[in-house]
Amino acid sequence: MGIIAKNIGKIIGEPPTRILTDINLEIKSGEFVALTGRSGSGKSSLLYLLSSIDVPSEGTIELEGHNIKKIKKKVLYRFRNEKMGFIFQFHYLIAELTALENVLLPTRKFGYEKQKKSYAADLLKQVGLENKEYRLPRQLSGGEQQRVAVARSLIMEPQYIFADEPTGSLDSINGDMVMNIIRDANEKLGTTVVLVTHDPDFAQEAKRQVHLADGKIV
Amino acid sequence: MIELALQYLLSRRRQTILTLLGIFFGSAAFVTISGLMLGFREYIINQLVNNSGHVHILARKEFLTEHSLDESWYGKAFEHIFWKVPPSGRKDSAMVENPQSWYTRLNKDPRVVAYSPQLTASVIVSNGKATAPATIIGCDPLAQKRVTTIGEYVIEGNFNDLALGGNKLALGDELAKELGATIFQTVQVSLANGMPSPFKVVAIFKTGTKQMDNVAFGAISDIQKVNQTPNQVNEITVRLYDYTQAAMLADSWSAMSFEKVESWDQQNGNIFNVFKIQDAIRFLSIGSVLIVAGFGIYNVLNMTVVQKRKDIAILRSMGYNTYEIVSLFFSQGLLLGVTGAAFGLFFGYCFCLYLQTIPFAGGPLGSGSGHLIISFNPRIYVQALCLALMSTSIASILPARAAGKLTPLEIIRAGAE
Repeated sequence: MGIIAKNIGKIIGEPPTRILTDINLEIKSGEFVALTGRSGSGKSSLLYLLSSIDVPSEGTIELEGHNIKKIKKKVLYRFRNEKMGFIFQFHYLIAELTALENVLLPTRKFGYEKQKKSYAADLLKQVGLENKEYRLPRQLSGGEQQRVAVARSLIMEPQYIFADEPTGSLDSINGDMVMNIIRDANEKLGTTVVLVTHDPDFAQEAKRQVHLADGKIV
Repeated sequence: MIELALQYLLSRRRQTILTLLGIFFGSAAFVTISGLMLGFREYIINQLVNNSGHVHILARKEFLTEHSLDESWYGKAFEHIFWKVPPSGRKDSAMVENPQSWYTRLNKDPRVVAYSPQLTASVIVSNGKATAPATIIGCDPLAQKRVTTIGEYVIEGNFNDLALGGNKLALGDELAKELGATIFQTVQVSLANGMPSPFKVVAIFKTGTKQMDNVAFGAISDIQKVNQTPNQVNEITVRLYDYTQAAMLADSWSAMSFEKVESWDQQNGNIFNVFKIQDAIRFLSIGSVLIVAGFGIYNVLNMTVVQKRKDIAILRSMGYNTYEIVSLFFSQGLLLGVTGAAFGLFFGYCFCLYLQTIPFAGGPLGSGSGHLIISFNPRIYVQALCLALMSTSIASILPARAAGKLTPLEIIRAGAE
């Protein structure tokens, strides 16, 4: 089913500023799409709209056939929990929880924690943190923290991964490692990936690139 | 979310302990001060309820108004009568008019345990050169013991000996000390203008209430003789099975009789007013401690919400809804409240147990046991818990609601900037 954006626009702030204009985009299930463009081109804003974190000022976005403006909040929250994984430039790990607990955080909502525990340990192993499950975020390096965040985004085996500059604050080795995990999810699990990046090398990993400039697809 | 809330609290141990202390001290202070105040109150009520009966049937005192005497002077000859000097003052009937009809009624009433006719007189008691004005209560000693707890306070002699007749007296401890009288001694009892009569002291009692310990008891027939009012009584004291019904019964009996009928609580209305003021002071003073503690929680949670904005953002992006975010922060406040209150109640209870052991010599608080009287009424603990929870709930809900209103987008954007 995928995501379909029709004529969407976004106006923010006071005085009102237009950041996206007349965007038409279809992302099919299983696709790997990179949103590229210079800073301020509107790529992150588009990602937040496509992932339902934000709502458009104009036009409609259909997520699996549901208009995100009309979808019931309860359904949307469940959809976000079970079918979406987010990776941001900053890891947003909870400082009080261990790496394993952070990975398991999305499973707490509906009480799947016990069932997912061994899978969480597997994911940490896949991202190269097999002996660091019980470490707190402050006991991990920046790259390791981001890899925990990637593992967390995969714990619910989501249909969609939305990644906003996931390698932005990492060195090239850690950056490559994170991109490999994302690519594997797309290739091996068929996860739809929407990636925001300004790094042309990482953008090359995607099967399709959508370039934005001044809030428009070019 | 409670598990995560607990993890948040445990990660900031020092801050959590300091916040807990506020609630702890507030709850402990409430339990201790309420225990002391209510212990004293229960003692006073116990004294009022048990020491002098539940319902008092007294000779009526009627106040004269401008038209009280119109009919008795002029019959129905005039419609309006104007007095140059209108009648005023009190129409006094010193005695219960028809005690026999009361005895019949009280004997038949299933709510009545016992009753005791009394004649109370103001007398002068002397022992050698020592003289003291006193109130003397003439009663049927056996009935009096059933109606009041006076028999329990006898420290020397036997109250029942009054029933033997022949001018016997039971003296209150204070009065006995004032007169320097001891058991089996003979003292002189007289009206202000009457001849003294010898009375033998057969019992000495100590209730712990100064007013009561200045009273003397005698057989009613002996006191009637001294008072020169044979066969007369000026009060009938009644004990009920359920003392809480006293006011209702007194009102109904009063409505169908000439006498003034008062219950124990109606007679001591001023004391109950003092209790109400005490309650207001207690709730205001301890409530303010808990309000300060509540402000502590409010500040801590507000700060936590600011510090945890990124956590809120990631939780929201994972599908956690507003209610769950609110409950994450609200439950932190509630955990602080419940834990602080639980420790506070336990400490307050232990401290009250300790206070109970402190010797407290004499005075109305002594109750004969010589220790402070502390109430352990469960209501105190429930009230303390409710106050603590109310204070923490109000303090927590505002920051928690603020956290719930945060959207992930604004935090992520702020984080990116």
